Amino acid sequence: MEFILYISGKINPLQSVVVLAAAILISSFFGFTKKKVFKKFIIAVGSISLFLAFCLNIYVFISMGAFSDSLLTFGIMQVIEAGIIIFAALNLLFFISAYELNSNHFVKILILLLFSTICAVFIVISENFILMFTSLTIFILTIFQLVTSLNSSVSKTGSYTLRYFLRPALTVILFLFGFSLFYGASDFKNLGQILVSENISNPLTVLGLIIFGVAVYLYFFLFPFQNPYLGLMKRARSSSNSVIWFLYFPAGFFMFLKFSELYSFYIEKSSLYTSVIFIIVTFICMFAANLGAVKTGSIRRIMSFLFLYFIGVFLLNISMFSTGIISKSSMEWLNIAGIFLLVFSFIPIYSVFSRIERDTGSDSIAGIRGFGRSNIYISVNLLIIFLSWSVIALYIIPFGKYFNGMVFSEMGAANMMLLAVIAVVFLFLMVNVFRIISVFYRKPAGGAAEKIIFPKYFYIYITFFTLAILIITVWCLMEISCIETGFMDFKITEFSF
Amino acid sequence: MNFQFIIYFNFLLFLLGIFGIFYSKSIAALFISYQFIIFSAVMNFFSFSNFLYIRSLWDEIFIISGAISIYFLMFCIIYYIYSKLDSLEKKMIYENFRLFRMTRSDWWGEDNQ
Repeated sequence: MEFILYISGKINPLQSVVVLAAAILISSFFGFTKKKVFKKFIIAVGSISLFLAFCLNIYVFISMGAFSDSLLTFGIMQVIEAGIIIFAALNLLFFISAYELNSNHFVKILILLLFSTICAVFIVISENFILMFTSLTIFILTIFQLVTSLNSSVSKTGSYTLRYFLRPALTVILFLFGFSLFYGASDFKNLGQILVSENISNPLTVLGLIIFGVAVYLYFFLFPFQNPYLGLMKRARSSSNSVIWFLYFPAGFFMFLKFSELYSFYIEKSSLYTSVIFIIVTFICMFAANLGAVKTGSIRRIMSFLFLYFIGVFLLNISMFSTGIISKSSMEWLNIAGIFLLVFSFIPIYSVFSRIERDTGSDSIAGIRGFGRSNIYISVNLLIIFLSWSVIALYIIPFGKYFNGMVFSEMGAANMMLLAVIAVVFLFLMVNVFRIISVFYRKPAGGAAEKIIFPKYFYIYITFFTLAILIITVWCLMEISCIETGFMDFKITEFSF
Repeated sequence: MNFQFIIYFNFLLFLLGIFGIFYSKSIAALFISYQFIIFSAVMNFFSFSNFLYIRSLWDEIFIISGAISIYFLMFCIIYYIYSKLDSLEKKMIYENFRLFRMTRSDWWGEDNQ
């Protein structure tokens, strides 16, 4: 036991990475197997290793505390981020196992999944520029290999995959250029050093930050650069789409969060014009995403557009911070809450929709018509999950002070614009939600709806997400309404990073 | 060589790369534009190291690890083009390929390609 503790102390905070690496090592011995028994064994090894990595990630932080050196940093923020990545990877393992078990490359795909998870964890905990950059590049490489392996049997997706991955390739090249400018501004090796130094106002630092901002914008395929993303999502296999949503996007987002301290320094001091630019960009991204979702009849495209909408929510957080309506810590809190909502709502919704698509053979919204009548339990769960998106309405809470006591005219032009943007994009989101719900409960075109048979574990899976969303929503609402929960001192809304 | 001249030259290379990305109509031209930006970044590292920090080891490690990982990614993409795309797709990306192509269907209407 002492030996294990000694080793654990030496590799701290990479315990979760070591567990995942051990699973890769075991899986590599079965790389070419076609027997289902071995494939199931590898699924078990992968699931256990991811579960262990998830638990170790939390346990190590509680038992050994925060860690920081020249290469890595491991605080409460990193624990949450790595936890989200590992949780998403565990769900991806289920997705891939459900859809690709018969593939000859199944074990290789799982190895790639575990390897990309390790790279994503490295992105989260890296502190040094070299480690940040190489982990991001290798992460994109592994995601590229994972997506191409998953789509190897699908014809005519090649050019779409290519178009998609040339964009993150450009992102890493811009990152390299940005880091070279940071190096010119100071010889510091990490962002924390730049933040506390006098070089933060150096023009090269500012230029580097602008280039990083553009690179991240391109990485997320935001308006008007969404073409390759939508093209691939429409044609690729369901398992490949889930890899992009639940691994590619969160990891990129956590990379962006690393720069948020530096951006906050400038945004805090930004002028009205900068705030207005942020608000306009936010509005365009979120409004256009909703508009696209309303117009299309393809479920995949609807979900892809709505995913872009939720990426736009992070821009909304930045806009609110730039106008001064929320503090920096509130922005960080909202960012993490946003990624939680994204993962906890999109995983169950997409798992159901992809199952329906597989059974009906159609990607059209007409395929879910009458689903609520034939599959009551699953549809009620989806209803709760969809309605949880209405928490976006809580974004008007910071504006409450202008309605209660303070003079409304003191709000300022930027905040008024922001309030209007929140109202419009929220209404459009609700239009999309009610459109999907109404299709659920409409009479099917060809008489009685055919019941889609879901496996029993699927009910447990969906119930888990619904309960998690319900508990967190009720807890937050009780805290906002100042109702004492009584059983725990911890308050979600007062939590700070 | 003048430090200022090197910096301006690097920035010019970067702008050439950006222009190429928007203007290029073939995949080869796009990769060449990428090379311009990579080259500009590497030159930045070397010139800053040489003139400002008296040849630090850190930037050399960054360049080596960064270049290896980026070129490995680009190699995989190019290998994918050669091994997986059929002749029709290859013809299309060699002759008519834009990285930032925007179509009406992206926001308005179905994607029926």
